[in-house]
Amino acid sequence: MNRMMKLTTALVIAFMAVIAASVSAQEDAEQIMKKSHLAYYYAGDDGVAEVDMRIVDKKGKERIRSFAMLRLDLEEGGNQKYYTYFKKPSDVARMTFMVHKNSGGNDLRWIYVPAVDLVKPISADDKNSSFVGSDFSYEDVSGRHWSEDTHAVVADSTWDGAAVYVIESRPKAPYGGFALKRSYVNKQTLLPHRELYFNDKGDLIKVMTAEEIKDVDGIMTIVHRTMEDVKKERVTHVIFSNIRYNVGIEDNLFTERFLKNPPMQYVR
Amino acid sequence: MKTSNVYIAFLAVVLLFTSSVRGEVVIDGFLQGLYGGRVDKANPTIGEQTASESRLQMRFQHWGDNGNFFGRLDFVYDGVTDTYDWEVREAFFRFGIGSSLDFKVGRQILTWGTGDLVFINDVFAKAYQSFFIGRDDQYLKAPQNALRGAWYNPLGELSVVWSPRFEGNRLPEGTRLSYYNPLQDAIVGDKNSEYMAPVKPEAHFKNSELAARWQHRVSSFATAVYFYRGFYKNPNGFDMELGAPIYPRLHIYGASTRGPIGGGILWIEGGYYDSRDDQDGDLPMIPNSSLSTLIGFERQIVQNLTFNLQWQADVMMDYDIYQQQVSEQGGYVRDEVRHLLTTRWTKLLNSELVTLSAFVFYSPTDEDVYAKLSAEYKYTDQITLAAGANLFEGNHIQTDFGQFQRNDNVWAKMTYGFF
Repeated sequence: MNRMMKLTTALVIAFMAVIAASVSAQEDAEQIMKKSHLAYYYAGDDGVAEVDMRIVDKKGKERIRSFAMLRLDLEEGGNQKYYTYFKKPSDVARMTFMVHKNSGGNDLRWIYVPAVDLVKPISADDKNSSFVGSDFSYEDVSGRHWSEDTHAVVADSTWDGAAVYVIESRPKAPYGGFALKRSYVNKQTLLPHRELYFNDKGDLIKVMTAEEIKDVDGIMTIVHRTMEDVKKERVTHVIFSNIRYNVGIEDNLFTERFLKNPPMQYVR
Repeated sequence: MKTSNVYIAFLAVVLLFTSSVRGEVVIDGFLQGLYGGRVDKANPTIGEQTASESRLQMRFQHWGDNGNFFGRLDFVYDGVTDTYDWEVREAFFRFGIGSSLDFKVGRQILTWGTGDLVFINDVFAKAYQSFFIGRDDQYLKAPQNALRGAWYNPLGELSVVWSPRFEGNRLPEGTRLSYYNPLQDAIVGDKNSEYMAPVKPEAHFKNSELAARWQHRVSSFATAVYFYRGFYKNPNGFDMELGAPIYPRLHIYGASTRGPIGGGILWIEGGYYDSRDDQDGDLPMIPNSSLSTLIGFERQIVQNLTFNLQWQADVMMDYDIYQQQVSEQGGYVRDEVRHLLTTRWTKLLNSELVTLSAFVFYSPTDEDVYAKLSAEYKYTDQITLAAGANLFEGNHIQTDFGQFQRNDNVWAKMTYGFF
């Protein structure tokens, strides 16, 4: 009887230890993904960059999107504001686009079409839709909040000579974007080198690759990334240049006033 | 005379192109061919073409230290009338004073209000002829010479637009499209009628147009009140002495709100049209005052498919007097409340390279329909191919869309953008 008790106690303790270990492993994974998210999407308090997007289809036909992009973080890991001023091609030139990213709910999006002087709010309940026809979704541009997925470190590995965590993330609620994401996160910079997206059938659908990472004002930054749509055999390159962090962008810039009057000091 | 103007303007463009200040100047634009024809042989227009034009649009932008200049210039060869033409679509200077005042001065396109192709408080000039024959959306708006000032303060934004000279809407004149002529009580085109040009208000200070808007955000809803002092933008009055259509005096008092709700965007707008020259509603040649209200909702149904619905109700004041007067003359009597339902469906295909669009206006009270269909394909970043149709139907020849029932047309368009 006594021995039974002891055995049971030992078993219970062992069982709890296993659970605790797995919970803490999960917590670790979540912490890593949180830090990675902040390093990737919340670098500095604000940022300005020139962006060149090249969309290459399977026949090698190229389309470009060229724009200036401004970002302001209202809270680390929380709400952000984005402003985009399009330069090329000519049918979208001078159009502006603004997002108030609401990490707890639906984003607010507006577009301004200067040819007709039209400010238009856009219904934005679908974060998985394509950003300007590229292989990046809105959520790929502004980041999917780490708390929407469960995360687990499945392996330690190396990528391009650097030590990486291999982390698998699964959406807590069913999500159209992916059923499983496998990230290769650099242990030092915490930036993802590669992200593999799988659908609910286990098929690989999208691959994000950080092609070039550079130190910009002391902040490690992915300056060239690609997103490959596996089924369409299409690749979108995103190349950032003239990146500046902590330039002191003011909150009131992300209003209808500046949607109609692009801030010259940042977008020219 | 006209042709020499074209050369002068073209020369100016070439000079700008080659000038040494190019470093700060951004130049782009497009070349476009638009060809369209009517499909109804009974249309009383002489020609069969609704559009046959080659267009070059040049855009110039100059970023200065204290402001920026933007110009948009169109050169057109119009095959329907066999003429060359050019137009300064926009030429404005934009600058700020202090941190809370913005100005936009010059020739410009102006838009405000919430409706999708339904306008209540937006009484800036429109070109419905362009709208009906397949020209790009940007041509629905006609430019106005105006001074626009905006004052931003903690209570919101106050915008004032002053146009020294009245600018009316551009409407079908019978060459490409036929229309209803109340004097002949018939649908007329250049085959059976001569266009009677409306008389614009004289160029006096008191005839200038003033439009103002105060806008404030209430949580995520942009809420605004509007005021307009000017004239009806359509020549819907008639002056017996002049023997010509005129633009009667008009004041508008309005309000609107728009914001996100239920995964989509909701908008509500209203305006009271105060017909200044017919306060009692007893002048048969001047429109009665009216109250117009609009509600609309837009959302994405599935990925890349967006739709919206709008309902507009327009109530005529002093309807009894109107009804009595028109009945006595045996004319067409409209309903006291005119309802208009519209819907827009937009489908994006092939990674947003193909856009299918349908916009339908339907008025159960006027018993008329206007459907605007188009398909567009971005073949490359430079080349866009598009085709579409404009279809009108109506039980009466006097109504807004019913009068255009002979104008059904199809069109094709190719655009080459350069940058």
